[in-house]
Amino acid sequence: MATEVNPTTAPSPREKTSEFREVLRHLVRNRAAVVGLCIIGGFVLVSLFAPLFATHDPLRINLGNRLKPPSAEHFLGTDELGRDLFSRMLYGGRISLNIGVISVFIGVVIGVPIGAVSGYFGGKLDMFTQRFIDIMIAFPGILLAIVVVTVLGVGVENVMIATGIASVPIYARLVRGSVLAIKEQSYVTAAHAAGLGDMRIIFRQILPNCLAPIIVQSTFQIATSILWAAGLGFLGLGAQAPTPEWGAILSNGRAYIRTAHHVTTYPGLAILLMVLGFNLVGDGLRDALDPKTR
Amino acid sequence: MKRIVFTLVATLIVLGLVACGPQAADTAAVRDTLTIAIGAEPESLDPVKMTSAPAATVGEHVVERLIYMEEDGTLTPMLATSWSANADSTVWTFEIRQGVTFHDGAPLNAEAVRANLARFVDPEVGAAYRFLLGSVQDIQATGEYTLQITLAQPFAPILSHLSHSFIGIVSPNQISDLAADGTFEIPVGTGPYVMERWSRGDSIRMSVNADYWGPIPQIPNLVFNFIPEESARIVALETGEADAIMAVPPQDVARLQQNPDIDVVFQTTVRTIYISFNNIREPFTDQRVRHALNYAIDKQAIVDSIFEGNAFVADAPIVDAVFGHTTVGPYEFNPDRARELLAEAGFPNGFDMVLHHPTGRYPLDATVAQAVQSMLADVGVNATLETREWSAYLQFTSQPPDRAEYDSFMLGWGTVTLDADYGLFALLHTRQWNPNGNNRGFYSNPRVDELLDAARIETNPDRRRTMYHEAVDLIWDDAPWIFLYNAGQINAVRSNVQGLIHHPLENLSAWAASFR
Amino acid sequence: MLAIPVVIGVSIIVFSLVRLIPGDPARAMAGVNATPDFIEAIRVRHALDQPIPVQYARFVVRFLQGDLGNSIFSGRPVTTEIGERFPRTLILATIALVIATTLGVTAGIISATRRNSLFDNASMLVALVGVAAPVFWMALMLQLLFAVQLRMLPATGIGTIRHLVLPSITLGTASAALMARITRSSMLDVLRQDFITTARAKGLDERLVIYKHALKNALIPVVTVLGLQFGILLGGAVLTETVFAWPGVGRLLVDAILRRDYPVVQGTVMLLALLFVLINLVVDIIYAFLDPRIHYLSGRGE
Repeated sequence: MATEVNPTTAPSPREKTSEFREVLRHLVRNRAAVVGLCIIGGFVLVSLFAPLFATHDPLRINLGNRLKPPSAEHFLGTDELGRDLFSRMLYGGRISLNIGVISVFIGVVIGVPIGAVSGYFGGKLDMFTQRFIDIMIAFPGILLAIVVVTVLGVGVENVMIATGIASVPIYARLVRGSVLAIKEQSYVTAAHAAGLGDMRIIFRQILPNCLAPIIVQSTFQIATSILWAAGLGFLGLGAQAPTPEWGAILSNGRAYIRTAHHVTTYPGLAILLMVLGFNLVGDGLRDALDPKTR
Repeated sequence: MKRIVFTLVATLIVLGLVACGPQAADTAAVRDTLTIAIGAEPESLDPVKMTSAPAATVGEHVVERLIYMEEDGTLTPMLATSWSANADSTVWTFEIRQGVTFHDGAPLNAEAVRANLARFVDPEVGAAYRFLLGSVQDIQATGEYTLQITLAQPFAPILSHLSHSFIGIVSPNQISDLAADGTFEIPVGTGPYVMERWSRGDSIRMSVNADYWGPIPQIPNLVFNFIPEESARIVALETGEADAIMAVPPQDVARLQQNPDIDVVFQTTVRTIYISFNNIREPFTDQRVRHALNYAIDKQAIVDSIFEGNAFVADAPIVDAVFGHTTVGPYEFNPDRARELLAEAGFPNGFDMVLHHPTGRYPLDATVAQAVQSMLADVGVNATLETREWSAYLQFTSQPPDRAEYDSFMLGWGTVTLDADYGLFALLHTRQWNPNGNNRGFYSNPRVDELLDAARIETNPDRRRTMYHEAVDLIWDDAPWIFLYNAGQINAVRSNVQGLIHHPLENLSAWAASFR
Repeated sequence: MLAIPVVIGVSIIVFSLVRLIPGDPARAMAGVNATPDFIEAIRVRHALDQPIPVQYARFVVRFLQGDLGNSIFSGRPVTTEIGERFPRTLILATIALVIATTLGVTAGIISATRRNSLFDNASMLVALVGVAAPVFWMALMLQLLFAVQLRMLPATGIGTIRHLVLPSITLGTASAALMARITRSSMLDVLRQDFITTARAKGLDERLVIYKHALKNALIPVVTVLGLQFGILLGGAVLTETVFAWPGVGRLLVDAILRRDYPVVQGTVMLLALLFVLINLVVDIIYAFLDPRIHYLSGRGE
């Protein structure tokens, strides 16, 4: 599920600080975005301090205490091996956030240069890259992620790499679009005239001004990666047991959906809420960064 | 644009109406179809292409073999009515059942059987299970209904090998013109049901064989549905979309038992689940370490909690229904003894190891691996879990000794011939070390090798049994594995269905079934 | 005609990628019972013992003759395998897309014209939740609700239109949510533009303004997404198809990956790639048809 962002015309570098304040002001005025920020903030905080909040060792197995419903001792009940679900969820939040952020980082690091070079230089290379990326985008990211995980093997790190690679074409296309718009701007032509090298222009002049759409897309992409990771878990290609990744907890828990539904309900809701948070913030950022809607 | 939107909305509404309409049609009709939901689709129903349990379950309703193995392991006549061997058991003579016709009308005779067996052992054809008849040297139809199989050397379990579900006999018309790599979709056999349609990915339909040589089934139509997702399979049973389902997860048993319309059926299997050490790698070369790890695992707790009682603590490297089994275990759960032994072996503080395990291959495999990990941690052994997707997992654990990069791995083995040779030889004989066979843990004991070799060609059952008992005893004491449990199987059936056969070979057979 | 090098590129990538996956088809088939003999036999039969460029050349030659080879797993021609499964996924994806478009576009329009109304807020909330729920989780929940609790719809399988309902709703939800959001924001954009103001100023009926003038222009981004979504639905039905035992091409592809059934993986991916090229083409055409500049030049928009 890829949410598309339209490249926006970017301001010149000098306006950056005031631009940032302006964006922030718009974001804070957007009630939905604030809710999203609060959700994400809450999850980040809880994940950072997971060891403080956790009531139990998330890996401590107690076969005599399996699948117990929520209680004062176990806030969210226990899982199929008698582990405390609340504590697992806390630590799992860290992992899911990590999956989201790191996979986005991978996607950006690979996708942005491809898009930038392709858009900046144009010509045959661009046409080919463009068509190729069209197809890659049409290919469902989850399928690409499945192939990458089977090549690399299962495990959280590989899930990050797989979801990251699957998001590469999205960034490449996005950045290419922005670059096309920006490279005609006066300060870029000026830089050209001043004799700056192509790479310098791309990295110093153009990319900093593509930041807005990249940030917006990344916010959405974090959400998508978390969902992809859950889907991989469902197919048995997710995190290595006993890692308490949310998608893994959810897909293992589905075996108990009829007998001890808390094992699926809470991780399901947690994923839903976190994805919702990132999408709300993404929406807010897009509006705030788009001069048309201000 | 408006028109398009209108059309869309109209379509949706119609769809909704159809969807929400009454569901009377299926339930009110006369019950002439039995639907069984299984978890996976057969790869093929051509005997030489079959490799999986679902293929066996579906296939045996259509295609029959010479000998049938009853639920208790006795071998009874099927397409062969009797058999005998010469003095040194190298030449076997089978009398083929007379008056049997294939679904296409072709008569069953010795030549038809010969053609099928010849195709099965043909290296060009490359059947995966060709090894079942690896000892066969020659197959001759010596009379219209007499078949002679000559073995290169005596092979005691040949009869149970011939009873294997994959050695099916199809119509000679179907295979006579087939190229070596040729195959067919719909097998034409002699079985109680005639296969009609294979809707790939969805279902296989068959109808009763009115000319069947045995008792003719009461239910006219039989459907096998493929529903991979466990919970969806159960839902299908509860809604009546399926009359019987295989492989019910243990955690759903209690709930299903409360449903008056559903019977839950428990059956043993021939599958034992174990964790093998890499026996040529430190520290698992030390018997004390191997013993310690066996003592460290609370097998009973795994069986009672994770499987809710629907599995059995292993008391030998083979299940008790297998010829040659003798009870030698289990290793009691004794963490103190485990720590003592580890200390004696020079590991008072335990050690680090990697435990490889499959995910989703055997029921609750990853869950068991996690439980084992935590039990090992209690005696100071820090085991890291590592899983791989099934095909990669098998590849990883098939490396020759110099390239095997594992400490231990979890695997299961079904002794489908119910003979100790199948269960012990391939797994534990020195000649079967990777990559030649299935001895992935590089176990080697010359005396065990000697016994397994001798028992293979020994024709006296009592002497054979004694040999296997000694081998089982030695293997148990050597402890090349952490002996875990024997898997159970759970099926569930709508209460109005009776007479299904829940076979320990993990087949569900419907030829004797009827609606109440 | 840049599509041709792209399709070649895709084929090379897929071809090498599947062969990078550890494990081999014989082991995936025969499991622990895969003998060295059998593994070798499968490799020879499917020419997996040949150098990869040779294998690729064979593949190309056959592909040009319309032959995608035989499935290693079932022994059947890949074209047959795909031929049986593809129509099922096509139906599922089409219905899902119809549901998604109908619901999404309708909700989007209403939301945009009644900005900040209760309907707007409620439908946008539903849309947000729709994209945020893991697909398989929602599939299981729908199955429990409609098949087990309400007994309204079959839980699994194919055959009747009723079997289509749950899987297509599951599959279509995320797309519907996305469409609703895109339609809404695109509609809001358009409604702010000059020609709408002009139209309104001319005293045209508000409904005419919205449906005739605004909608057509607002649908441009929707159409782009529509094409994209169709591709995603076609291949992305994997999870939905698994839960509902829907024997489509998505499950075929994932099963083939897990079994190392190289010919099936290659064939399916090639088919999807060709299809995506086609969809892109159609989208381009519709895009040109809807593009306001073309209309205003021809004067048809007035």
